[in-house]
Amino acid sequence: METYRISNLTFTYPNRAAPALDNINLTLAQGDFCVLCGHSGGGKTTLLRHLKPAIMPHGTREGEILFNGTPVNDLAPRDAAAKIGYVSQNIENQIVTDKVWHELAFGLESLGLPTPQIRLRTAETACFLGMQAWFERDTHTLSGGQKQRLILGSILTMHPDVLILDEPTSQLDPIAAEELFTLLAKINRELGVTVILTEHRPEEAFPLANKIIVLDNGCIIYEDTPRNAPRNILGILPTPMRIFHGIGASGTCPVTIKEGRKWLKTQTLKPIPPVQEPPPVAPALILRDIYFKYEKNAPDVLTGVSFTANKGEITALLGGNGTGKSTTLAIAMGLYKPRRGKITAHGKITMLPQNPTTLFIGKTVQEDLHEMTQNLDELEHIVRQCRLQHLLDIHPYDLSGGEQQRTALAKVLLTRPQILLLDEPTQGLDTAYKQNFAEILRSLANTGVAIVLVSHDIEFCAEYADRCALFFNGSIITQSTTRAFFANNHFYTTGANRMTRGLVENAVTATDVINALQKGSL
Amino acid sequence: MHRDAFSTYHPLVNLAFFVSVIGFAMFLLHPVALGISFVCAAGYVLCIKGKKALRFGLIFMLPMLLFTAAMNPLFNHQGVTIVAFLPNGNPVTREAIIYGIAAAIMLITVITWFACVNAILTGDKMVYLFGRVAPALSLILSMSLRFVPRFIAQAKIISNAQKALGRKTSPFKILSMLVSWALENAIETADSMKARGYGLPNRTAFSIFTFTQRDALALLFFALNIAVILAGVAAGAYRFRYFPDIQGEWTGAGTLAVFTAYFLLCAFPLFLHVKEALYWKRTASVI
Repeated sequence: METYRISNLTFTYPNRAAPALDNINLTLAQGDFCVLCGHSGGGKTTLLRHLKPAIMPHGTREGEILFNGTPVNDLAPRDAAAKIGYVSQNIENQIVTDKVWHELAFGLESLGLPTPQIRLRTAETACFLGMQAWFERDTHTLSGGQKQRLILGSILTMHPDVLILDEPTSQLDPIAAEELFTLLAKINRELGVTVILTEHRPEEAFPLANKIIVLDNGCIIYEDTPRNAPRNILGILPTPMRIFHGIGASGTCPVTIKEGRKWLKTQTLKPIPPVQEPPPVAPALILRDIYFKYEKNAPDVLTGVSFTANKGEITALLGGNGTGKSTTLAIAMGLYKPRRGKITAHGKITMLPQNPTTLFIGKTVQEDLHEMTQNLDELEHIVRQCRLQHLLDIHPYDLSGGEQQRTALAKVLLTRPQILLLDEPTQGLDTAYKQNFAEILRSLANTGVAIVLVSHDIEFCAEYADRCALFFNGSIITQSTTRAFFANNHFYTTGANRMTRGLVENAVTATDVINALQKGSL
Repeated sequence: MHRDAFSTYHPLVNLAFFVSVIGFAMFLLHPVALGISFVCAAGYVLCIKGKKALRFGLIFMLPMLLFTAAMNPLFNHQGVTIVAFLPNGNPVTREAIIYGIAAAIMLITVITWFACVNAILTGDKMVYLFGRVAPALSLILSMSLRFVPRFIAQAKIISNAQKALGRKTSPFKILSMLVSWALENAIETADSMKARGYGLPNRTAFSIFTFTQRDALALLFFALNIAVILAGVAAGAYRFRYFPDIQGEWTGAGTLAVFTAYFLLCAFPLFLHVKEALYWKRTASVI
């Protein structure tokens, strides 16, 4: 049985010439686990929103969308609400009520179910998702992962046939993201619910999926199993597949790290020479033995943090949630006073906050930037550096995530910092935006600015940072050059490094492995 | 807060109790009734809030008690037993002094009961009780309770982000940013509500509270005591006057019965609390 059958769907937003979706033909069978990939602005969210009548975008539409054999717009409102579950990108905005139990019951209240039935369904769902321990808590006290699980639960109570998720992990740290995928796999496997989601992190999603759809400029350019994904969508593939296609190998393509290792053992690998330590540079920001806690009776958040950020280098602070990374940035910035310890900063210091919208005041990007400076030459220079030329007349809230990030960065740069702090700058960005952002950061570093960023994004740091430090339990466990850092770690390291562990030394990125393989085949 | 037995009762029971004791505390001015209500309220607040309540009582309530008691005879000159004269020639009477003390005790008793209300009738119970009357109102309340902490947290984040730009931002500007943030996010919240069927006809209101036999018995117990108290009031068993001279009913079977009923009503949560504490103490000593 088919959950969805979409035929010849073309959709154009009002006042736009080009269609956002162009002749989409798609079939989703019941129980499918489907990952929808593609660059930002490629039409992924637009397609997902077409699957649920209540939130279908406005515009001109042609073609047909059948849900369980019925056109979606002919579905009874009650069925459409209950059978099609939709999770949008922003976690916070989807929680409506103040109590966990009330949020779980929200959809059932809308459906008009009697109290005993709601009691049973919320209880069942809470058990299934492991929410008993916080069933009576206030929603604002939950962690990000718990909130995402709550949103999922509030939909599962309505017994949906299909779950649609728009970038569900974009606001989660890696551990919470993995937990979410485990949960989705369980829902798919044990309840037979069809799952369709968009995702920027292919490493966890690909092994679970039985179908990959790649959307580009509103067209489907690929629709098949993950294993057969072609090499022309390289940027969004998991590391083992990138390496496999990178050397143009033939045979069965590995999808998981485990398969990747198995495949690598059949290949010849040339050793990778260790990279020379870069010459010492002048330090810009020095933190020594910082101790801090938020309240008198609270436990210490930071217990003796020491680190140095050099001029012209990108330093990355990695580590799990709640280990004190963001607090360290806030203290370096001077937002809080350390209880003990010393901070030395050579030059002006500013910070790009995690949420770029917290900086926007103006009605257009232009207005927002003008507020920072009167010097038009400087403004133009920064606009070019941050690649904002074509965005100047748009309201900051209407930009995409990556564009908002660059606008916020431009605003911060207009204060002419010598030390730039960034809190989770890559969260929710796709590969193209990340690369774009990294290039801007590199050009800044080349002018002598010291850049310190806090991140969960191991692959990003491995690719672009000069030095990395690992946070654990309120202090820094190790700090070294990026290569040495990832080559020495076992778990907290890149996919490429985990894949080559024991087979070849010093491989950190997919490019390293590809180079080693190509030399080997010569 | 310590875990309290009375707070585990159905919100309707909690509400019925507080409405009746606060009502009686305001209208029954017989010194014995005042004493009963005060002792029960103070005892209960100490049980559920502990040291914090004691500190609040000593720092805030005691001075208020003394102040109110002292103010009355300075301005109220009714009564027949003159104790002294003020510099302006007005008399200070024994009746006015005693009435001042009684009124002061009434005032802090009511405040103490409200402190208990605050601890027992938490936000979710209020939301539920409102929901009985108007389901839409209860959802709005619940959404506000969700929104307020988010709004405050976002205000802090925005203020920090602006500080990190190395500048001072006026509170007015921050408020304007907060409003655009809230409006922008409200669209997505509305979508999320719509996606879960909000707006379909015949919406129900769910609550996790269940009304059990225990709750019914508690309500019955309240009703019996309230009936005795009201009958006593009607029959004049509570008769007491402060002016012009102090006269009132102190003994007599009816009066004693009424006081007993009043005590049983006011001490109900205190009794539950002590019973619970003793139970756990006994269990612990057995282990």
